[in-house]
Parts: sequence; structure tokens; C-alpha cells
Amino acid sequence: MNRLLRWFHQLGSPPYFDRFAARWARWAYGAGLLVMAWGIWQGLFVVPADYQQGDSFRILYIHVPSAWMSLAVFALMAIYAAIALVWRIKLCEILAMACAPIGAAFTLITLATGSIWGKPMWGTWWDWDPRLTTELILLFLYLGIIGLYHAIDDRRAAARAAGLLAIVGVVLLPVIRYSVVWWHSLHQGQTISLLGPSKMDPSMMPPLLAMVIGTHVWFVGSLLARARADNLWREAGKDWVRKLGEATR
Amino acid sequence: MSYQNYVIAAYVVFAVVLLWDFLAPRIRTRQLLRATRLLAARKANVPSSPTGELPR
Repeated sequence: MNRLLRWFHQLGSPPYFDRFAARWARWAYGAGLLVMAWGIWQGLFVVPADYQQGDSFRILYIHVPSAWMSLAVFALMAIYAAIALVWRIKLCEILAMACAPIGAAFTLITLATGSIWGKPMWGTWWDWDPRLTTELILLFLYLGIIGLYHAIDDRRAAARAAGLLAIVGVVLLPVIRYSVVWWHSLHQGQTISLLGPSKMDPSMMPPLLAMVIGTHVWFVGSLLARARADNLWREAGKDWVRKLGEATR
Repeated sequence: MSYQNYVIAAYVVFAVVLLWDFLAPRIRTRQLLRATRLLAARKANVPSSPTGELPR
């Protein structure tokens, strides 16, 4: 068995995962925060204002990465849930359920910052536009998954039920992504492409890239921290948890 | 800066939600470990009867 495979098997052990998550979560939080701090500094104070939107375009530096995260986290949650359903890997159940509140947080940021940007630019806080409406449905899906997970006493049954909802909910992701193409939308079409040519000026891109990387790294930290808490909750009463509790007195 | 209040409001929302995202799992982990510690202490303080019978 090669080292990577052995490490992967070890990660499935609750005490080993606890040590791993406790060790790496703080580093991921720190690195994510540093990269985001640089991106925010550049986005707020260095990059020139947009010739049409003025400084309100600076909201984009938190809105766009959060919107991408809201979709990416949901997709990852569904992948973990599918693995957990097929192979009954407990760690994947924990990771899938840890994704939900983080994804909900990013979706909330997306909706709130979009609304704050929309007031001066569109003249309204909210419009029942396809992109906005489908993103709102995504938030409700996240909340539904969190609610379902906490509504059932049996942790494993709860994770399976909520995971199934996450897998079904994946159909919403392409609808959100292509809503601006399929329907007439107040929301602008695709302006930024990381791989192809963007409609955005290149001078405005570095802070956005930093924010995209920063939010991803932050997510890793948050995922580990939340998964660790859930792992401890499931393992409460076990010897290693008791020893850990005494050690952290 | 034009639209300053809107920009500040958006970044405040971002910061507050990420702060919650940072604090929530830490608080939960501490609560869980504290509960484990208190339960262990309570179990250690319960006097055990030598015959194994319940106290009357």
C-alpha cells in the first residue's frame, strides 16, 4: 500500500482526523485571511474606479468569489454525499454536512452584497430576476439540508437523508450558472472568465484572483474546523474524546 | 470614493459573516470538550457501592 493510500485510510480514523483538522484548520484560516487581506486592499485602494459604476464596482471583489463559492461548495457537498451514500464512509458524511453552513454563508454574502450593489446601480434592492431567484432557492436548499440534518436524532440516518437532498439539489447549479443565458435577465451575463478572455480590464483582475484563491483556502479551514466539531460530537463518550477534553482543560 | 456607504456596507456584511464562520465551529468544539470534561468529572465523583447495589 503506498503512502498516500495509507494516509487516506488513516484519515478515516476519528482521532487521527481530529488531530489532522486541529493542526491544519488554523493554517488554512491564516493563509486564506492573508490572501484575502491583500485582495481587499488592492480592490479597495489600488485598482482604479470603473468609468461607469464608479467605486460601487469594488463590491464585485467580494460578491463574485462568494457567488462562485456558493456553487462550488454545493457541488463538493453533493460529491461527498454521493461517496458517503455509496461507500458508507463516515468521514464523507461529516465533510458533506460541514459544507452546508459554509455554503449557506457564502450564498448569504452573495445575495446581500448583490442587493447592496443593486440599489445604486439598478435602483432597487431586489428583483425577481432568474439569477437572483435561483440563488435565493440555493440558500433555501442549504438551509433545508442543515435543518434536515439536525431534525433526525440518528446522525448517520440524518446525514444520509440530507446528503440525498444535496445530490438532488445539484440540478439547480447549471440553472443558476446559465440563467443569464437562458432567460432575459437584469443580471449581467458572464464578464469574468479565469480560463478564457474576460470583458473585465486586466488591471482589475489580480485582486479578484486573490479573493477567489483566498475564499477557497478559507473554505478549507472552515471545512476542517466544522468537520472536527461534528466528529467530536459523534464520538462524544469515547475514550480519546475524554482524554482530549482533559488535555485542553 | 463614490457610493462609499454601499461599499462599506457590503464589506461589513462580508466580514461579519466570515467572522461568524470562523467563531461558530471553535465555540462548538470548546462546548463539546467542556461537556466531555464535566461529564467525566461527574462520573468520577459518583460514589460506587462495593456490592454493586443501588443506594437506598
